Amino acid sequence: MAGACLLLSSQLSGCVTPTQPEELFQLTAESPAHRAMQIRYFETKDEAELLSASAAVLQDLGFQVEESVRDVGFLRASKERSAREYGQDIGRLATFVLSLGKFNMPVALQQKIAAALVTRPINPEATRQEVRIMFYRVVWKGDGQADRQYIPPGEQEMEMLRDPVMYQQFFAKLSKAVFLEAFTL
Amino acid sequence: MKQRAVWGIIALIGALLLHGCAAPEPTQDLLAPTEAQMKIRSVQTRTFDVKDRQLAMRGVIAALQDLGFIIERANEPLGLVTAARFAEPNYYDIVGVTVTVRQQEAGRMMIRANAIYNNKPVEDPKVYQNFFATLERSLFITRE
Repeated sequence: MAGACLLLSSQLSGCVTPTQPEELFQLTAESPAHRAMQIRYFETKDEAELLSASAAVLQDLGFQVEESVRDVGFLRASKERSAREYGQDIGRLATFVLSLGKFNMPVALQQKIAAALVTRPINPEATRQEVRIMFYRVVWKGDGQADRQYIPPGEQEMEMLRDPVMYQQFFAKLSKAVFLEAFTL
Repeated sequence: MKQRAVWGIIALIGALLLHGCAAPEPTQDLLAPTEAQMKIRSVQTRTFDVKDRQLAMRGVIAALQDLGFIIERANEPLGLVTAARFAEPNYYDIVGVTVTVRQQEAGRMMIRANAIYNNKPVEDPKVYQNFFATLERSLFITRE
């Protein structure tokens, strides 16, 4: 019974009331924490070097650079990987059996992990630079079946990645690459 | 037997729930200039006392990042920044924004923001007020 309740509640969660746009243009209580996690400062005048070192670190991590604009210190990179996990296949089988073969849940197949990075001088003499990186991912699902209705493949699911370890690792590699210490304010 | 009936009902409810989330139909007038767009042009535009355009662009980028937006594209010569974010906590909707920075006269920058929610232009003035409030703070910090 608990399993059935879980199944029902997981389906209900698909119909969340949409967030109002004006809320999305406002700083939230979590904003400062995210900011602190995503930003490190470097004592250097050479913004271009910081940017190219960032690109090199992202390449080391398997990313492909998709977009770069030197004048505003911007980089965007991504990598595609499989999103298959055993757990979700077990879940798929369980819901298939529980729904007496009526519901075949789509599972995640492919994911794109991406990073947007911006460097910027934060004092007028441009001796101190800020590097801010944001990781996110998009997951594509395979096909499925709900009763007699076919669920086509390609359904997307998107999320920001907010694992602090990921950010720490990136900045550790970056500070090694530029021979400078990354610090927070 | 009774238990089987219970499972059947649960499966039925589950299938019904799945039908609840139909995607909205796309409209035909995607490129047509609507009345509302003309009206909100003033809401979308604001002028700031910033001398350097690059500085203003960097301020715009920082403000968007503070708001949790992912910068997708930037074009320095044209003063263009495009960004998007997921409408958290639901991860199926996207909010997109394009910001243009243009020099109006010496030392004054005209900044215009256009936001869309999925495929619909955002016309609520409050959205733009919130955005410019964050931008103002970001530009102010940059100038220090």
